[in-house]
Amino acid sequence: MASASWRQFKAILRKDLVMEMRTHEMITSMGLYAILTMVVYQIALTEAGEALDVRLVMPGLIWVAFIFMSLLGLNRSFVHEKDQGCIDALLLSPVDRPVIFFAKFSGNLLFLLAVEVLSLPVFAFLFLQGREGISNPIWLLGVVMLAASVGISGVGTLLATMTVNTSGKDILLAVVFVPLMYPLLRAAVGATFAAVIGGPGSIETFWSWMAWVAGFDVIMLLVAFGLYEFVIGA
Amino acid sequence: MGETPLTGNALEVRGLTRAFGARKALDKVDFDLPEGAFLSIFGPNGAGKTTLVKILTTLLNPSAGSVRVCGLDVVTDAVELRHKIGLISHNPLLYADLTAEENLLFFAEMYGIPDAEERVRELLESVELDHRRLDLTRTFSRGMLQRLSIARALLHRPDILFLDEPYSGLDPHAMDILDTLIAQIRGEHTFVMISHDLSKGLELCSHALILANGKVVMFDERDAIDEAAFRETYRATVGMGVA
Repeated sequence: MASASWRQFKAILRKDLVMEMRTHEMITSMGLYAILTMVVYQIALTEAGEALDVRLVMPGLIWVAFIFMSLLGLNRSFVHEKDQGCIDALLLSPVDRPVIFFAKFSGNLLFLLAVEVLSLPVFAFLFLQGREGISNPIWLLGVVMLAASVGISGVGTLLATMTVNTSGKDILLAVVFVPLMYPLLRAAVGATFAAVIGGPGSIETFWSWMAWVAGFDVIMLLVAFGLYEFVIGA
Repeated sequence: MGETPLTGNALEVRGLTRAFGARKALDKVDFDLPEGAFLSIFGPNGAGKTTLVKILTTLLNPSAGSVRVCGLDVVTDAVELRHKIGLISHNPLLYADLTAEENLLFFAEMYGIPDAEERVRELLESVELDHRRLDLTRTFSRGMLQRLSIARALLHRPDILFLDEPYSGLDPHAMDILDTLIAQIRGEHTFVMISHDLSKGLELCSHALILANGKVVMFDERDAIDEAAFRETYRATVGMGVA
């Protein structure tokens, strides 16, 4: 049974990756949004000039961009399943519903991480050129991005499944998703701030915020796992 | 292609009720269908036909009553039952951005079919699409999509095939091909078909059922049906409209 689930998980994930590589729908929409947001930030902060230490607002700017960027991708993640009734064919196959959740979640996570990794150098180019860089080791930034993206993708996959059949799915997903993301967003910004600014006690602060991020991930993944059978069959 | 011996009942439906809020899409539906039979289901729009097929194919749970398909309960034995059923819908249920071969290989993995590549090749040949196996299905005509949809539904050698208005939107040539394919596999499966086409449905079926307002208005073996009376009953139910 476990090997069957693993085989089905790989099949769904591979199918999603192949289709995304062919259409670039999620990556393109998320990537373009991220770059445009950075450009708008850059224009908005132009007048502040050297007086503003961009590192102080960088964590907030990054996570606002990532949260809204992920919404675009999540809205697209079930479009292929909805087209031509494919979701019915998937549900007709002998697959446990949580397997579908984890496969779709993994795909969304990979796409989100890919765009995050690609957009950070753009942010650094636009804002950190000739300025002081990140104080703590950069891998801390990688840790918070990975952990927070797990939460974003987990909750987002569940909500995208719930809203895919609704008429105003774009706005409905945003209205439900953003408030649910508040605790994760707060903790991710806190951890990113500690990683970027550094200073005495910053590593301890970083890990205390990361505990919140990890807790959110665990709780939300368990909730999504428990609810998915009901949600996808509704 | 069917592997289970055709004995007993393929469908056993007892007191099946499905409500959406206060509205009952199905109301105490009862009938049995022997294995190897071909059931045509008729009824006006909103009669409950699609809801019935969704429940029989485990896509929807009943609100009340019991439903056994191939001897398995649609709620408690759903995962096991899904190995035994196939669905051909008016929607192709295929991924537009995968090739014909990739679509079938994907579903072969979902069903855990051994020698999947061999089975996919065999089915693509049988639906005369082997020459288009590497083309994205978004480039296929409606008839080609329907043929590939048949291959997808037969991939795991189901005991019972559900056809939800399979002729909808097909040109005459594609309808002929679908007729031929159904004739080829007729003796190997139990069929349940939803149709608005009385002539086609009665031509193919061994049993016929008329649903209206979520209730069974008529259910009988084809040989026992007086066609004129059946048509009259059908016309009357269409006039009954939606529940």
